[in-house]
Amino acid sequence: MADFDPVQLLRTLTEHKVKFIVIGGIAARLRGAPLLTEDIDITPDRSIDNLERTATALRMLDARLRTPTEPDGVAFPIEAEMLAVNQSWTLVTKAGDLDLVFLPAGTSGYDDLARSAADLTITEEGDLVVQVAALADIIRSKEAAGRDKDKAALPLLRRTLEESAEG
Amino acid sequence: MLKEARLRAGLTQAELGSRMDKAASAIGRWERGEVDPSLETLRHAIRAAGFELTLGLAVADDHDVALIRRCLSQSPAERLTTLVAAVRAISSMAVAAHG
Repeated sequence: MADFDPVQLLRTLTEHKVKFIVIGGIAARLRGAPLLTEDIDITPDRSIDNLERTATALRMLDARLRTPTEPDGVAFPIEAEMLAVNQSWTLVTKAGDLDLVFLPAGTSGYDDLARSAADLTITEEGDLVVQVAALADIIRSKEAAGRDKDKAALPLLRRTLEESAEG
Repeated sequence: MLKEARLRAGLTQAELGSRMDKAASAIGRWERGEVDPSLETLRHAIRAAGFELTLGLAVADDHDVALIRRCLSQSPAERLTTLVAAVRAISSMAVAAHG
């Protein structure tokens, strides 16, 4: 099983100039919600140039398809054209599980989330800045997704929004 | 919330107002908080923008509030560091528990 290392994963994406927004549980944590999560979810911009940069970064991260039966994942051709085919990809990488979600539930994707996203510094050294979705957008998406695990997180997320400057 | 719904729908205040037989100025006053619409009016306005306003009840939990305030007092980098430490600690315990 890969070490959970979100900094390495997000640094690799950033070093390859991938345009993306951190979403999901990690984004909620970065926004101040005391959630535990091992998934790193991102919404990349869908332009072909960006998908090519994303594919390069994914190859650097040894990304493989995550499946219930293959804990180490299944190799697949990591190319921009391939990434463009699906709305989402569930991957395992050498830095942990990574979900690419081009159209998170309840949103219209990168441009929609970018309106309220913020650049946050995510290392103590201050050398890594990523775009992170707004808590209100994370809540909106989890409400729309409606899965049990999303519903379970909603009271904590809503309370965090109330307590934070974002609320 | 109303402004967010309107902007996400790509509507002007006038366009949203026309969908609910209200003047653009009324929408503006609601959005600026100068006038508080009733819950039903807010629900109607949000529906006119193409969304649903959902409400629910959750049990109040002061423990959660303490955790939230502690997390909010940290920088984003500290929040990520403590998350990684917690996940790795749980993983180590799980490995130990399974021999």
